[in-house]
Amino acid sequence: MIVAACVKLVDLRPGVDRLTGAVTPSTTLGCSAADRAAVELALQLADSWSAESVVVCCGPDRADPVLREFAAAGVDRLVRIDATGAPDSADVAGLLATTLAGLGADVVVCGDHSLDRGSGSVPAFVAGALGAAQALGLVEVGTEGPGTLRATRRLDGGRRERLVVDAPSVVSVEGSVAELRRASLAATLRAGDVPVEVVAAPGLVVPPTVTTRPWVPPTRVQPPPQGTAALERVVELTGAMVERTPPRTVELPPDRAAALIVEQLRAWGYLEAVPSEPATDG
Amino acid sequence: MSDFDAIVVGAGPAGSAAALELARAGRSVCLLERGPTPGSKNMYGGVVYGRILDTLVPGWWEQMPVQRWVTRRSTMLIHDDRALTVDFRHPGWGAAPFNGATTFRPDFDAWLAGLAVDAGASLVCSTTATGLIREGGRVVGVRTDRPDGDLRAPVVIACDGVNSFLAKEAGMYPHTDAANFTVGVKETISLPREVIDERFGVRGEEGVDIEILGCTGDVPGGGFVYTNATSVAVGLVLSLPALAAGGDRPEELLRRLKAHPAIAPLVEGGEVLEYSAHVIPEAGYEMMPELVGDGILVAGDAAAMCLAAGIWLEGVNFAIGSGAAAGRAAAQCIARNDTSAAALAAYRRALESSFVLADHRKLRAAPHLVMGDLAQRGLPAVACGVMEDLFTVRNPEPKPGVRRIVRTQMRRHGVRARDAVREGLRALRAFG
Repeated sequence: MIVAACVKLVDLRPGVDRLTGAVTPSTTLGCSAADRAAVELALQLADSWSAESVVVCCGPDRADPVLREFAAAGVDRLVRIDATGAPDSADVAGLLATTLAGLGADVVVCGDHSLDRGSGSVPAFVAGALGAAQALGLVEVGTEGPGTLRATRRLDGGRRERLVVDAPSVVSVEGSVAELRRASLAATLRAGDVPVEVVAAPGLVVPPTVTTRPWVPPTRVQPPPQGTAALERVVELTGAMVERTPPRTVELPPDRAAALIVEQLRAWGYLEAVPSEPATDG
Repeated sequence: MSDFDAIVVGAGPAGSAAALELARAGRSVCLLERGPTPGSKNMYGGVVYGRILDTLVPGWWEQMPVQRWVTRRSTMLIHDDRALTVDFRHPGWGAAPFNGATTFRPDFDAWLAGLAVDAGASLVCSTTATGLIREGGRVVGVRTDRPDGDLRAPVVIACDGVNSFLAKEAGMYPHTDAANFTVGVKETISLPREVIDERFGVRGEEGVDIEILGCTGDVPGGGFVYTNATSVAVGLVLSLPALAAGGDRPEELLRRLKAHPAIAPLVEGGEVLEYSAHVIPEAGYEMMPELVGDGILVAGDAAAMCLAAGIWLEGVNFAIGSGAAAGRAAAQCIARNDTSAAALAAYRRALESSFVLADHRKLRAAPHLVMGDLAQRGLPAVACGVMEDLFTVRNPEPKPGVRRIVRTQMRRHGVRARDAVREGLRALRAFG
């Protein structure tokens, strides 16, 4: 039996130019607490089922030192799908699914979000591609015999859903599920020589990086408050006691409601006033 | 049974230089780092003088992560809202072989540690050395906070930074006096490159380093401003005991410095990226621990190798110099299979014959002189007052003589002539 953990290694310290939005990558890669919890859970499951543990990631070769930290913690095999840039989640999931199928993974554990955008969609894509059972966003995981998980899933409104998930399965866990064990010093030293199996990613299309300028609100000069006491100045700054037009609710057909909103925005100065119609001679 | 030939604790400049020399000598060396990466727990940046790297990393300027090359150095005296600046420019410092550079320490430390790893050192991060392993009075390894975390080697090089717990545990710091330490506080303020170029009068890769005296109120200390590529660092170095005894907080003193008419135009409109603080071994030679013990060497800030001598504020070059010397001495002793204190004393002799201890010994009185009352209060007040009187035109009154102006200002600020002469002579002796 094989238990696999999928992790996403992201740049921990990208330099972001606050004026241009340009991103400069750093040399420091890492993964989310949820991903680390996934690795720990995979280790626990592998220990309990006498299974082989594998960590799989999709990334560049500078991810290898981070993967070796997982080897120091006790993971049996490290597999990296060779890819650079920021490929689409569905593409990553496809590559992961192909690799996991090749490995013969019975249970796949993922973190429920990564450190960058963290939508948590990859585990669902992987489960779909593998045709495996999926249980996402787990807050508690136990076992009921080899290949079978007893899990608790977080639902809206504070409710919980209890699930029994049989292999083949793909689950994603929150960071609170487990804390990655601290590797021994000897294992940490040995991990430097652990090989990372590299899988090619032919045909992977990495979309070009789009650089956008961060939105910066326009500045305006605010005169300093004139009050002599601190309370007066705070009140003046917050505008708490200033008389203002109360909000009003109107019920109108959509076209008239839109016209009224536009008219009010013009009155407040958010929209330019409509130039007056030139007078025409009769 | 040893796990390595040597263990270096701390992957800062001293530790990485020591590990680099040991690895190049063909020795197995373990470089332990408390942070997740070398430099990760450091303050944002600093000024590094790279001459020491000439032999260690030939052509270092082509690979070292640099923010700006310092081509302009200024010393500023501040009193009230006035400021007197001595400004020196040397465009030649902006070309090879360069002089000093501003750099982000996380980048710099990672680079230097990377060289040690490339040379064969084993870097282990996220691992704290919690104590020493001793046998028969000699150090034979370190304990770490990892499971099964004991590590043994004939030599341990403690580069674990200021307030070194390993050196203290080894009994190499017999006395620790808070008066020997300062605390550095710093804000790194983001500004566009072209704004920095315009405000500081530099172009391209050129940078500025300004040292300031008289900006710390009632707390003895000094200030600094230096330029990174797209940020400016503004900070203070403050006497720990005075800070503890007084009512001023460091961030309030820093706010006042930033509001000073001489500094405000340099930093206004910027966004604070980081506020950080760090303890500095200020007293230099006078506070140095024993550098050598049976099976142990101490280098870098752990050995107080920080030169805080007024116009010279240097640390990283002394750390690298001491670390490299420790690495070389350790490698030779390991080769001779003798790592006793007597054999490792070659480290101290190497430091004494290099700039590391020569500069510290020569300038041993300078830190106290700079932190003295005359340098902290009298000198900035009198200097600014003299300049004001010299350049204020009071027609129809005739211009006063310079001697009269100086005497008037000294009297106004309570500086007696004999004290000034005495301190002047001390300064001459201190600065050679």
